This record gives sequence, structure tokens and C-alpha cells, in this order.
Amino acid sequence: MVVSNIDLTTDSRVIDPATFLDSTIKEPTLNINNDYRYLKIGYYVSLHAEVLGNAVIPSCENIIDSSRTPILLLRAARAGVPTLPFLVTDSVKKIIAQLGFPVVVFAVNPFMYDGYKTASNKSALYRAMKSLGMNYKFAVCVQPFKGEVTTFKSFFGKCSQDVETQKISRQVYEVFKIPVCKLHVQKADGKAYLCGLQPVSKDELSEQDLKMISREVSLLSEQGEHFGA
Amino acid sequence: MPKIACFVEKYNFSDPREEAALQNFKTAAEKQGQEFHFLFREGISDVHKFDAVFIRATTDPLNTAYVVSKTAWELGLKVIDDPESITICGNKVHQYELFEKYNVPRIPTMFLNKDEFHHKRITDIFDQLGKPVVIKAPYTSFSKYVEKAACETSFRDVCKRFFKKSDVLAVQKFTPTEFDWRVGVLNNDVLYVCKYMIPKGRWKHGAKLRGKPTIVWGRTVALRKETIPQSLREVALKACSVVGKGLYGVDIKEVNGEFVVVEVNDNPSIYAGYEDQKDKDLYSKIISYLTV
Repeated sequence: MVVSNIDLTTDSRVIDPATFLDSTIKEPTLNINNDYRYLKIGYYVSLHAEVLGNAVIPSCENIIDSSRTPILLLRAARAGVPTLPFLVTDSVKKIIAQLGFPVVVFAVNPFMYDGYKTASNKSALYRAMKSLGMNYKFAVCVQPFKGEVTTFKSFFGKCSQDVETQKISRQVYEVFKIPVCKLHVQKADGKAYLCGLQPVSKDELSEQDLKMISREVSLLSEQGEHFGA
Repeated sequence: MPKIACFVEKYNFSDPREEAALQNFKTAAEKQGQEFHFLFREGISDVHKFDAVFIRATTDPLNTAYVVSKTAWELGLKVIDDPESITICGNKVHQYELFEKYNVPRIPTMFLNKDEFHHKRITDIFDQLGKPVVIKAPYTSFSKYVEKAACETSFRDVCKRFFKKSDVLAVQKFTPTEFDWRVGVLNNDVLYVCKYMIPKGRWKHGAKLRGKPTIVWGRTVALRKETIPQSLREVALKACSVVGKGLYGVDIKEVNGEFVVVEVNDNPSIYAGYEDQKDKDLYSKIISYLTV
């Protein structure tokens, strides 16, 4: 069964999230949503499926972990995805001592879920910490900034990037199984490193993207894959 | 010597009774030959240097505490609160779905999602649960984000505010009582028991004074756990069994002689002179659990 908030063109049976949440359908579930953030409807679909005992893609654990940058990086690195060392802290002093400059900073707070900031000196780092740490109330996740960060859409682990980035996209999907997302990848010294993951807004989904997602959904359904297995 | 990291935020030291409880944990650990260090946000990346992690900062899947818990878990450390307990207890919709699935005695509850926020559904909720109802945001803690509504206008007003953060809310039958039982549970065993008294003229343990930001808390009355009714013990342990094997505070109401679960909380409050009044050994028991 496919539960989706996106208009898919597929022969598979698709129901909308609200209908699924009111149901007790016990079937392997493929949850397609542009936004899987915790507490949003995409999360509740996976939650309801899990409580029903359905195998589901993506799982609640993966939804939460993939959106928390330090956990994303920790689990990805353990699965062999290239990542750079990172620090979770609210101390500027510690960042300078352990990573130096320049750095790329991601938020680790309940309110921010997209974007990042870069800092190449102390005052820029303070500004980034103030903004992403919400006036120094929260910690941030900091990684060395060695090259350039590319942000792109990834559907079922597929993307239209270079071979190395495609491999990261595929590996991240293998670990977290987030069908629709955006990835931040840093390219440095001729290598690519995973930096972060965030939701895709509906406006960012082009006709071509929708066709690609639909094709992948049809393919999975035809193969009779047990979602979540 | 095994090392325990106690993850705290500055606010954990703002109440002297909580600060005293944290010191009691430290003393208990040292008596058992463990090192006990307070770990603040600044040092999160040092988690791997410890053997166990005890989280006292407020937990939620969106809080820093989850990052600490999950990191420790991934590194194979013993951790209270473990990430799964945080996930289940941090979202009351998740918890009530599990209570329903495993038939845990509970307050009658319905769910409301953003897409069905209309007159017919609201009428249906009032028909089934009566008036007033209690609306709970899934991330409620310390009596916050739990409000009462007796008419459609106030119901809509509360839901609109709560929907800003969560797309699904829980709505419960209004069940006023003089107190809530608080049963502290560790690893499927009752650790302590209290009565959280409801302040006079209010309906929840922590109530705001009209027009003021201050929250007034009801008294905490500790009881000897050996004296509590067997059925209360059974209901508390059954509720925890669907969550996990960690440290929990179960809130239970007694309605017409029956015990019904309000919620299971991970990261339960432990204040010196309150929860520990009749069970001074709760500190050493928690430390032992972390290091076994």
C-alpha cells in the first residue's frame, strides 16, 4: 500500500495520509511525503503503520535520526558513508581549538530544519552560533569546511549528480530509507562527504521529479518489495 | 573505575531540591565506586569517554538530550533515558496508540489530525467524550500544552495553537481528581510512589495563576510503595511494559475505584525531599541499573 501526500501517476493503490490515519489497514506500507519531519503528517503515517505492525518505509527511528545532523552523520559513518569529523557543542572556544576555520554549521534545535551557515573567522562563527543556536540557547553541529557544499534532491537514493555523489545518495538511502529528501554533500580534495539531510518543499518538486518518484513507486510495487523489510 | 555522564542543562540546578537530588546521585555513584560527572552541552562530543549516560535534562526527540541519548546508544553505552523511551514518551499520540493496541487501562482518548479539523469532527468528539474535553499537544510535559475546552470556539482556539507544531493532537475525556498517582518505575519494578495533589480549584498538578506566568504546583505526598493497592502497581507496570525497561514516572488517576493511566513519562522529576521521601535508596538503585 502506498500512502502519499504527493500526486503520483502510478497504477499502485495510493491513499492520502488522513484516510490512512483513520484506518486499520494491515499491509506493508510505503510512505511518500515531501516532508517527513517529526510531528508532521509524514511522521504520523509511519508511526501509525508501525503501531499497526506494518513493515513501513521509512521507519520512525530513521525519520528522527536522519533529521538530527549529528545522528545522521554518526550512523552514516558507521555504515561506511564518507563523512567529515564533527563536533556538537555550544562552545566557540572548543570549535576553534578542535576544528579551526573555516567550518560549516548546522542547527541542532527543535525549530530549524533546513540550511546551514559557513564561518571562516571568529566573528562569523559567533554570528552563526547566535543564529542557529537561537541566541546561544542550543548546541550546533560543526564540520570542517574544506571545499564547497552542494545541495540536491534525492529520490529513493537516486540523484542527478556526479558518480561519487550518486554513491553517497544511494548509501544514505540504504541506511535511512528516506524516499524523498534533499542532501547536503561537501566536495573537498576530490572527494565527496555527506553533510546533512533536509525535507523538500512541495514547490521544489518539478513535473520531472514527480514522474521519477512515481516510476520508483511503481517499480517497487511491481517487484512486490516488502516495504520496510 | 566505571564512569557515568549525567547530561544536564543549567536549569537543572535552578531549583535547590533538584540540585540536591543530583548531588545525591553523585554521592550514590561514588559510594558504589563509580565516577559521576555532569556533562553539559559544551561537552556532548565527549560522550564516548563514558561507560553510561544518565539524562536529567528535559528529553524530546527534538531536544539535544535525544542526540546525547542516541549517540550513547549507538556507541553501545547503557543509557537512561534510552532513545526509544524518549520517542514513545515524548509523543503522547504514539503512547496512546500503543496503550490502545495493548489494552492498557487509560482515559478515553481520540486523535485529531489537521486535515479533519472541521465542525463535524469536533461535534463527534464532544458527543463521544462529553464536555469539557482535555486537548493535549503530543509534546506535553510539566503540565504544559494541556488545555481544557468546553465549546467549539475554545476547542478551535487551542487546537490552532497546538497544530502549529504537531499535525496530530490527542483529545481526552475530562477526568478531574483530587490527585494523580505518580508511580516511579525502574526496569519493570516499582521504585517509589507519590500522590501529586491538584491545587485547589484547578484540574492539573501544575496550574498557571490567572494572568501570570508563574506555575503553581500541587503538593507531593510520598507513600511507602509496599502499601499501594496491587491493581495500581499492575496498571503502572503494564503501562511501562509497552514503553521499555528504563526509568519512568507513570501518572494514574483513580476513577470509580478503577485505575486509569494518564501518561507514562520518561525522565521523571526527582526532587530531594519529594519523590525520595520514603525511598531514599532510589538513587543507588538507578546508579546500579546504569552500571550492571
